Amino acid sequence: MSQDQGKRIESTGLASGSGRDKQRKRFAMVCFRVLLLQLLITSLLALALMFRDFVTAYSAFIGGLLYLLPTGWFSLRVLIKNTARSPREILANIYMSETGKVFLAVALFTLVFMLVEPLNAAALFVTYILLQITGWYLQLKLNHRFLKL
Amino acid sequence: MAELLFIAVALLLGLSALAGALGVSLLGGKFLEGAARQPELVPLLRSQFFIVVGLVDAVPMIGVGMALYMLFAG
Repeated sequence: MSQDQGKRIESTGLASGSGRDKQRKRFAMVCFRVLLLQLLITSLLALALMFRDFVTAYSAFIGGLLYLLPTGWFSLRVLIKNTARSPREILANIYMSETGKVFLAVALFTLVFMLVEPLNAAALFVTYILLQITGWYLQLKLNHRFLKL
Repeated sequence: MAELLFIAVALLLGLSALAGALGVSLLGGKFLEGAARQPELVPLLRSQFFIVVGLVDAVPMIGVGMALYMLFAG
C-alpha cells in the first residue's frame, strides 16, 4: 500500500492497529491545542480586565479555570488514558469520564462560591460561557473532517 | 422567599441533569448503532462523539453553575 493510500484511509477513519493509535494521538493534539488557546484567551481577558478592576479580573480568570479544569480532565481521560478498543468499552469510558467531569465542575463551582469573596459573578459567567462558545467554534474549525460529514 | 429559591435551584439542576442525560444517552445509542453498522469507522465515530458530547453538555453545565451561584451566593 502506498503512503498516499495509507493517509487517505487514515483520513476517512478506516485505519486499524497502530494507525488508529496515531489517529487518536493526532486528535488528542488538536484537542489540547484548543484547550491551550482557551487558556490563552482567559489569560488575555483577565489581563485586559486588570486595568478596570482586580476583582473582575480574577473572577474572569476563575470562570476560565472552572471551564478548563473539568474539560482538560475529561479530554485526558478519554483521549490519552484510554486503552478501550471495543465500542462498548469506549462508550463506558466516555460515560464515566463525563460523570467525573460533571462532578468535578459542581465541586469547583461550590468551592468557588463558598470560598472566594468578593466575586464578580457576571465576569465569571461571561468568561465561562465565552469559553464554551469558543470551544464549539475551535473544535469544529480545527477538526476539518467533522465539517465534511 | 427562601422556599422559592430552593425550588428554582432544584428545577435548574433537575432540568439540566435531564437534558444532559437525554442528549448524551441518545448520542451513545447512535454511536453504538454506527459502530455496529460499520465497525471500521469506530475511531472516526469516537472523535465525533467526543466533540458532540462537548456541545451537548455545555448548556446544562451553564445551568448547573447558575443554580449553584443562586444557592451559595444568592
